[in-house]
Amino acid sequence: MSSVAVIADELRTLLGSMGVRTGPGLERYGLAGRMPRAAVLPRDEAGVAGALRVASEAGLGVVPWGYGSYQSIGSPPLRYDLALDLSGLDRLVAHEPADMTVRAQAGIRFARMQSHLAAHGQFLPLDPPLAEGATLGGVLATRSCGPLRCRYGTARDLVLGLRIAHPDGTVTKAGASVVKNATGYDVTKLHLGAHGTLGVILEATLRVYPRPEVEQGWWIGSVEANVLQDVGNRVLASPLVPDRVEYAEPAVARTWGAPREGPALLVSLGGIRESVAGRAADLRRIVEGQGAILVEAGGSPRICASLSEFPWSVRGPADGSPWAIWRGGVLPAESGTALAALGEAVTPLAEMEGAATIAHGALRGVLRAASAADLVQGLQAARASLAARGGYLVVLDASASLREALEPWGVVPEGLDVMRRLKQAFDPKGVLNPGRFVGGI
Amino acid sequence: MSGHSLRAELRSELLAACVEIVGPAGVISNPDELRVYDCDALTFFHRQSPDLVVLPTTTAQVSDLLKLCYARRVPFLPRGAGTGLSGGATPHAGGVMIVLTRMTRILDLDLANRMATVQAGCVNLWLTKAVEPHGLFYAPDPASQTACTIGGNVAENAGGPHCLKYGVTTNHVVGATVVLPDGETVRLGGKVPDLPGFDLLGVFTGSEGTLGVCTEVTVRLLPQPEAVKTILAVFRAVEDASTAVSGVIARGIIPVAMELLDRETLKAVEANVKAGYPLDAGAVLLIEVDGPRAQIEAEAVGVEAVCREQGCLEVRVAQTEGERVLLWKGRKEAAGSFGRIAHRYYLQDAVVPRTKLAHVVREIEAIALRHGIRIANVAHAGDGNVHPMICVDPSIPDCEARAIKAGSEVMRCCIDAGGTVTGEHGIGNEKREYLRYMYDPADLAVMERVRSVLDPLGLCNPGKIFPDGDAGANLAPATARGDR
Repeated sequence: MSSVAVIADELRTLLGSMGVRTGPGLERYGLAGRMPRAAVLPRDEAGVAGALRVASEAGLGVVPWGYGSYQSIGSPPLRYDLALDLSGLDRLVAHEPADMTVRAQAGIRFARMQSHLAAHGQFLPLDPPLAEGATLGGVLATRSCGPLRCRYGTARDLVLGLRIAHPDGTVTKAGASVVKNATGYDVTKLHLGAHGTLGVILEATLRVYPRPEVEQGWWIGSVEANVLQDVGNRVLASPLVPDRVEYAEPAVARTWGAPREGPALLVSLGGIRESVAGRAADLRRIVEGQGAILVEAGGSPRICASLSEFPWSVRGPADGSPWAIWRGGVLPAESGTALAALGEAVTPLAEMEGAATIAHGALRGVLRAASAADLVQGLQAARASLAARGGYLVVLDASASLREALEPWGVVPEGLDVMRRLKQAFDPKGVLNPGRFVGGI
Repeated sequence: MSGHSLRAELRSELLAACVEIVGPAGVISNPDELRVYDCDALTFFHRQSPDLVVLPTTTAQVSDLLKLCYARRVPFLPRGAGTGLSGGATPHAGGVMIVLTRMTRILDLDLANRMATVQAGCVNLWLTKAVEPHGLFYAPDPASQTACTIGGNVAENAGGPHCLKYGVTTNHVVGATVVLPDGETVRLGGKVPDLPGFDLLGVFTGSEGTLGVCTEVTVRLLPQPEAVKTILAVFRAVEDASTAVSGVIARGIIPVAMELLDRETLKAVEANVKAGYPLDAGAVLLIEVDGPRAQIEAEAVGVEAVCREQGCLEVRVAQTEGERVLLWKGRKEAAGSFGRIAHRYYLQDAVVPRTKLAHVVREIEAIALRHGIRIANVAHAGDGNVHPMICVDPSIPDCEARAIKAGSEVMRCCIDAGGTVTGEHGIGNEKREYLRYMYDPADLAVMERVRSVLDPLGLCNPGKIFPDGDAGANLAPATARGDR
C-alpha cells in the first residue's frame, strides 16, 4: 500500500488542498474508537468519483460520511483509511411541485430539504430519527424511517432515481425522475438500506406529497397490551387511513405524555379538517367498542416528533451504566404483544422501553442494565424472544463498553450468499465500508 | 418460426428428464401445441416456439427443472398467462419454457396481518375477489387482471389505472419464493419487515423473468376505501385536459386514477362499447377519488374547479355504481376498441413528467401529421404514463415503416421531455434498443453486473431487456395487436 502522504498528495491534486484533511480535525470521523488516516471533502460528483478511484487503486477502506448521524449502526470497519465526507454535495437540484418530485444531492440535510418543500405546501413523507442533522444520503443508505411509514411507506416506496459513484470511479444513474418506470432492473433498491457497501449515493430523486391540511393525534389507553393491539389491528383494517399507529410501552407512553398509566397507542390522522373530524368519530367507535379509552393528544406535532426520535433520543444514561438501542421486526399483528413478551424475557437482566409501528411490525427500543454482562445477556434473551416469533433484532448503538462484545446484526438473512456475490461484483476490492454490513459484507 | 433450436438428441434427453420431474401430463412437446407458446400478447414481433413446455406444480419441481437446464446449458424462461405486451415471455431461441399456470393456489390468507401468499400462477383478480368479503383488496390492477398472474405481475412490476395513488407491484410485494437460475431456492423478504441485507426482492421485482423463476408471492392487502367518486370531465382540446391533470396534482389532490382518452380513442370506444362518452370532445379525463367520505367530497369539488379553470365543457359525476362501471368500461375497452379504427396498431408505454404531458401530446400529434398516420392517445395521465396507439393502416404505402419511424420519434420525444421508455409493460424483446435512449453503457453495465451474479451463464430468459452489442441493430419493433 502506498504511504498516506503519497495518497494524500494525489487526493490534493484532485480536490485541492481544502478538499483533503489529515491530522487534527479527523476526530469527528471517529468510528468505534478508530480514526481514518485522512478525510476528503469533494465539492462535486467528479470529486467523489476521483477520490474513490484513487482509494480503490491504493486498496484503501473508505467510509462514506454524511453528518455521521447513523454511523453507529453496523460492525466496525475492517479497514478505515478514508472518510469520504459528502457534506459538500448539498444542493437541492430541482423541485417541480406540480410533478410532485424533488431531486437533491446526498449531502443535503434532511430537515433543510423538508423546509424547502414545506414552503410549497409539500413534504417528503419520511420521518427518520435525527432528521435535523442527518443527510438525505444517510437516511437512504440506512433506509431510516419512522412512524409515518404506516401511511406512506419507506424510502423503498419514495425513491424514483439515484446517482451512484462506484468504487472504480464510474458514476451511473439508476431509475428515472418520473413517478412510474419499468425500464430495466430497479437497481435503486439495491442501494437503499445497503449502508453504502455497494456504491456511494450522490443524488436522489424522490416522490413528494402534499402536506395534510390538519394533523391530529389521539392517545388510546388500556391496561391490557392485547386490547391495544386489537384496537390497532382494527384501525388498520378499517378505511380510516391513519398516518400513524404507534404502540408504546408504559415507560415510553409516560414520557410522551400519555394521560394514564400503562401501555398506550398513539393514532394520528391527516387530511382536510372535515375529514379528520369525521374519521375521529369513527376512531372513537372502534376504540370504545373494545373497552379502551380515547383522549385527544394535545400538541400532537411535538409528540409525533418525539415518536420519530425514539430510541435515538434516549441514548446514554448520565450515570454511565450500559445501554443499547435497537430495532427489530415481527409480524404486524403481534407487534405490541411481542414487545410485552420481550420486556418479560429481559427481566431481571435489563430494563426495556420500546415502541412499535404496528402497521408493519417494526419495533424499536432501548435496553439498560447494571453491568455490561447483564446487558449482553439481556440482548440475547431479547433476540431469542423475537426469534421465537420469526422476528429479529438489530443493535443500532450501544455504550462504548459493549461495542466489542456485540454482533450488531444478529441475523443471517436468506440469500446471504447472493448478497456476498453482489458485493464482490460491485466492490471487488472491498473498498466501501468493509465488513460493516450484515454477514461481514 | 417453429422448429426446434436444440439438437434432437439433447431435446429427447431433456424431455425424458422433464417427464421424470413433473410426470407426462406436465410436459408439452408436440410442435402444434408448442406453437401456442410462441409469443405473449405482443404478437406481431418475434415469434419462436419453445423446445419444450413444462407445467410444474411445486417449487421443488421448478428447482429440479432449473438444475436440469443449468447442468445441460439449456436456456429456459418462465411464463404466466402470457398477457405481457413487450415480448418478455416469448422464447428468444427455443429452450425450455416453465409455465406456472398450474400453480394457482392462494396458500395463505392472513387477515390479521393483511397479507396473502399465493402461488405464482394465481390470477390477479382471483386474489382481489378472495379478499373482497373481508373488506380488503389487492391494489395493482393491470388492465389484463382477469387473466394475468401475480407471478407475471412481479416479473413485470405491473401497474394499472389505480396505481396513481396506490403504487405499482413493487410497493405491494413483501416476499417471494424464488428459484434462482442455478436451481437454488431462496425466500426473499417476508412478512417481517426490514430484514437487514440487500433488497434482493426489490431488484427481482420487475426483472422480467431474467433473474430466476418466482413460485410464491406474499403481498400486502389494503382496506377498501370508505367511498369512491368517479368523474368524467370533457375538454375541447387534449392540451386542456393534460394541463388539468397537473393542475389537480398541484392542488394537493392525489386521485386514485386519472385517465385521459383523446378524440380518436373516444370514437373507437363509443363505436365498440357505448360508454356514453361525448364524440365531439377533444379529450376526456376519467378521474376517480377514493378514501374517507368527507375527504373525497372535498377532493371532487377541487377536481371540478381545476377542470373548469381549464375550460372543460362538462363535468359528469357517476351517481350510481352502474354509471361508474360504465364509465370505466369505456376506458378498460379502449385498447380492444382499436380494432374498429385500425387494422393493426403499435402500442407504446412511455412515461413523462406530468407537467410535460400537454407538450408531449402536442408533439405526438405533430409526429402523426408528419408521417401521415393516425396516433390515438390513451394515458394513465396522473402518472404521466402515455399509451400512444400508432395505427397501421394497410391502405397507406409503407405503413409499417412509417409506424416504426413514428414510434421511435415518439419515444425520443418522451425521453427528451425527461421521461422513460416504459412505465409498466417492461422492455421484453421489443424495447431493448430503446434502453440506450435512457441509459448510458455504464448504467447498463450495472444491470448486467446484477444479471451476471445471478445468472452467470445467461440461460434465464435470454434475449430480453439488454440491447444487443451493436447500437441500432434491433431498432425495429414490429406492430402489435394487443387486446388491452
